[in-house]
Amino acid sequence: MTALLEAEGLVRRYTMRRGLLGRQVELRAVDGVSLRLERGETLGLVGESGCGKSTTGRLVLGLEAPDEGTVRFDGAPVPPVGSAAWRAQRARMQMVFQDPLGALDRRLTIGTQIAEPFEIHGMAGAQDRVAGLLRDVGLREDFAARYPHELSGGQRQRAVLARALATDPALLVCDEPISALDVSVQAQVMNLLIDLQAERRLTMLFISHDLRAVRQVSHRVAVMYLGRIVEEGEPDAVLRDPAHPYAQALVSAIPHPGRTARRQVLQGDPPNPAARPPGCAFHPRCPMAVGLCRSVVPELKPRASDGRRVACHVAQGEAMGEAA
Amino acid sequence: MLRFIAGRLLRAALTIVMVVTFAFVVLRLSGDPALLILSVDAPPEAVAAFREAWGLDRPLWVQYFSYFGAILQGDLGQSMRDGRDAIDLVAERIPATLALTLPALALKVGIGIPAGVYAALHRNSATDRVVMVMAVAGFAVPSFVLGLLLVLVFAVQLGWLPSGGQDSWRHAILPVITLGIGGAAVLARFTRSAMLEVLGQPYIRTASAKGVPWRAVVRGHALPNAAIPTVTIVGFMVGSLIAGAVVVESVFSWPGVGRLLVVAVSNRDLAVVQCVLLLVAATMVTSNFIVDLLYGVLDPRLRTARGGGKG
Amino acid sequence: MRIPPLVALALAWVVLMLGIAILADAAAPYSYTALDLRARLSPPIGFGGTWAHPLGTDELGRDVLSRLVHSIRMSLLIAFGACIIAAVLGTVLGFLAAHFRGAVEHVVLALVDFQASMPFLVLALSVLAFFGNSLPLFICLLGLHGWERYARISRGLAISAGAQGYAAAVRQLGASPLRIYGRHILPNIASTLIVSMTLAFPEIVLLESGLSFLGLGVQPPATSLGSMVGYGREYLTRAPWVLLAPSITIVVTTLAVSILGDWLRDRLDPTLR
Repeated sequence: MTALLEAEGLVRRYTMRRGLLGRQVELRAVDGVSLRLERGETLGLVGESGCGKSTTGRLVLGLEAPDEGTVRFDGAPVPPVGSAAWRAQRARMQMVFQDPLGALDRRLTIGTQIAEPFEIHGMAGAQDRVAGLLRDVGLREDFAARYPHELSGGQRQRAVLARALATDPALLVCDEPISALDVSVQAQVMNLLIDLQAERRLTMLFISHDLRAVRQVSHRVAVMYLGRIVEEGEPDAVLRDPAHPYAQALVSAIPHPGRTARRQVLQGDPPNPAARPPGCAFHPRCPMAVGLCRSVVPELKPRASDGRRVACHVAQGEAMGEAA
Repeated sequence: MLRFIAGRLLRAALTIVMVVTFAFVVLRLSGDPALLILSVDAPPEAVAAFREAWGLDRPLWVQYFSYFGAILQGDLGQSMRDGRDAIDLVAERIPATLALTLPALALKVGIGIPAGVYAALHRNSATDRVVMVMAVAGFAVPSFVLGLLLVLVFAVQLGWLPSGGQDSWRHAILPVITLGIGGAAVLARFTRSAMLEVLGQPYIRTASAKGVPWRAVVRGHALPNAAIPTVTIVGFMVGSLIAGAVVVESVFSWPGVGRLLVVAVSNRDLAVVQCVLLLVAATMVTSNFIVDLLYGVLDPRLRTARGGGKG
Repeated sequence: MRIPPLVALALAWVVLMLGIAILADAAAPYSYTALDLRARLSPPIGFGGTWAHPLGTDELGRDVLSRLVHSIRMSLLIAFGACIIAAVLGTVLGFLAAHFRGAVEHVVLALVDFQASMPFLVLALSVLAFFGNSLPLFICLLGLHGWERYARISRGLAISAGAQGYAAAVRQLGASPLRIYGRHILPNIASTLIVSMTLAFPEIVLLESGLSFLGLGVQPPATSLGSMVGYGREYLTRAPWVLLAPSITIVVTTLAVSILGDWLRDRLDPTLR
C-alpha cells in the first residue's frame, strides 16, 4: 500500500523587490523538501519562524504549486490549483489555521460555516451533521447560532476544526493551531487533536515552532532550517538525543524543571532566506562547523550508528579528519 | 533617478496611447463614418469611393495604425462645419481659455492652500469651522449655479459687472471668481486633511518634544510632508487648465476651448471633439509627469534607485 | 445610536427627496408639460404669486413646482442608476484583478490610472458627441464615473482577504470563486462600498446637472434639475425663480448626501478618506 502523501524535492521560490525600483531578489522559502506520510500517522514539523514550514504545509496541501518537485496524494498527483478536480479533492484534505478568528467569516454564524463544506461538495443532511461535529469537537449544539466574535479563542479553534472535519478528510494539516491561543486552553485543544486523530485514523501534518507540542502529538518529527529538513526521527529519540546541532539548540532551549545547566544559546543572526549561506545553511551559527560545512551542502540521510536521518557533516562523521 | 524618470515617461506614453485607442474605438463604434459624413441616401458608389479614399475597406488594425500615424504627424482632421483644420480651430481658442483658467488657478492656490494650512494649525477654532463650511459649500454648489447667482447679484441687481462676453478685463472677473471659489474650496479641504494627518505623526511630536520651536517644526517638517498629497490635486488643476472651464465658459458666453467643445458636441463635429480630447490628454499627461518628478524631489523614498538614508 | 442634528436634517431631506421622486405623479399638481398661457412667468408665493402655482410658472406657463418634482425624479433616477453601474463595474473589475493577478491586474490598474488621470467631463462629452444621446446611454455613460474607486477598494480588500483569513480558508474548503467572492468577500466589504457610493452620489448629481445644463444631458420634453437651470437661465432677469428653485434643490441635495456620506464613513469605515 502506498503512503497517503508523498512529496518529492519540493522547491518554492518567491521573488521580491527591494524598494520601488530595486533589483529583484530571489527568496527560496522551501528548498528541496521531501516528505512521506503513512495513513494514520502524524508528522510534526518544527522550526523557527521563516524556515518555510508553513509554505511546506501549503505545498503539501496543493494550495500552492511548487516550482520544482511533486506532491502525490493517494498515489496520484495533486490536480492543478483551482481546477474542478482540485476543488473536489479539498474534501479529502483540510487545513487548520493559526488564527481562528481570521479563518472564520465574521458575518456568518458558526453553524452556517460548519455546514458550508457540505454545501460546497453537495452533501446532504447538513443540519444533523453540524450538531454531531459540534459535539465531536466539544462544543454545545447551541453554538451553531453564534457568531465568531461571541466565542473565545479556544472555542473558535474548535469550530474551525469542526469545519475542517466536516467532509471526513483523510489528511489534516495543522499550521500552528495553538500558538494564537491562551496558554490555559492550549492543552485542551492539543488533547482534542490527539483524540480526534486516534478516533478518526487521521493522517496529520502538525506544524509548530514548539518542540514539546510536536512531541505530544507526533509519531515522527522533522526539524526544518532555512527551507530544508535537517533532521528526522522518532520524537522521543530526537528530543533525548538530537543529532543536528540546530536540533540540539532547539532541545536545549526547552525549559526543563530540575535541569539547570548547559543551555545552548544560538549565536549569530537569525537566518535570512534571501541570503542563504553556501554549504550548510546553519554553519554561520553552528558551534561545531568545520571547513567542509562552509562549502558542501550536507545531504539528509540515515546516520550509520542508529539510522537517524540527519543532514550534518559532523553528525555523519564526514568531518572527522578536520575537527579541531 | 534616471530609471524613475524613464518609468514615468513610459506611463505617460501609455496614457496617450490609451486616449488615442479610446478615440479610435469610440469613433468606430459610433457607426459607419461614410454614412455619417455623407448623407444616409448617398449612392452606393459614392459610399464605396469614400471608403476606399479613407481606407475604411482595409482591415481594422491597418486602420488603427494609419490613424495613429496621422495623429503623430499632427493631422487631426478637418472640422465638418467649415472645413478648417481642427487643430487650428482649437489652437486659436486656447488663449481665451487660459485668460480665465490661469488667474483662477492663482486664486485657488492663493486662497485654498493658506486657508487649509491655517485651519489645520488652528483646529476647531472659529476660523477652522468657517473654512470647513465654505469648503463643503464650495463642493455642493455647482459652478453653473454659482456663476448664475453671481450674474444675478453683480450684473443684474447691482449692475457693477458685465454678465457675459469677452470685451474687456472686467468681463473676466465673474468667470474667474466662479472658477476660483470652487477649486479653492476643494484645495482647502484637501490641504487641511493632509496637514492634520502629518501633524498627527510621531516625528512631529518628537521634533517638538526635542524643543524645536513650533514654527520651525511646521516649516521644516509638517509643510513639506503635507505638500505631497496637495501637489497631486494642484497637478490635476494644472492639467485641467485647457478643459476645466467647459461649464463656466458656457455660462458666461466666453469663446474658449470649452465653449468650442460644447458646440462641437452639439453639432457632432467629431474632428474638433477628438482634437480637444487629445489636447486635454496631452496637458493632463504632461502635468502628471511634472507632478511625478516633484514627488521625487519632495519624497526621497521614491528615489531608492540610489539608496541611502534620509537625513 | 445618537444622530447629530445636522445629520438628522440631511437624512430628512434625502427621505423627502426620495418620497417626492417615488410619488412624483401624485405630488405634482399639474403635468410637467401642461401649459397655462394665462399665467406665464407668474411669480411664486411671497413675491406676488398665487396658490395656483406655489413656485410660479415659466415663460410657457408651465408650473415650476410640477416640473421641479419631475426633475427630482429624473435626476435621482439617473444618479442612482449611474451609481449602481459604477459600483458593480468597479467591484467586478477589482475582483477580477484580485483573482487573476498578473496580466489581468495590470490591465485593470492601467484602466484605473487612465480613468483617474483624465477629466471625466471631457471623456463624457466625447462619447456624447460620437454616440448622440438617449436616456439609457446617458445613465450608462455616467456609470463610468468613479468606477475606478470601487475597483481600487474591492481589489485591495479582496487581496488582503485572500492572502490571510476567511477567504483563504473558504478557498481551501473547495469553494468556487463565485462562492468565495459572492458569499464571503462581497458581504464583508459591502459597508465600505456603500459608504463609497454615498460619497460618489453627489458627484454624479452634479455631473448630470452640469451636462443637462449644457443641453447635452437629459433632452426635452423630459426634464432634470440641470436642464431646468439651463432653461431658466434665459429668464434670469425677468423670472429668476425658474432657475433658483432647481438650483437650491441641487445644492441642498448634494450637501445633504455629502453630510450623510461623511457621517456614514466615520461610523462604518474610518479607513476611507
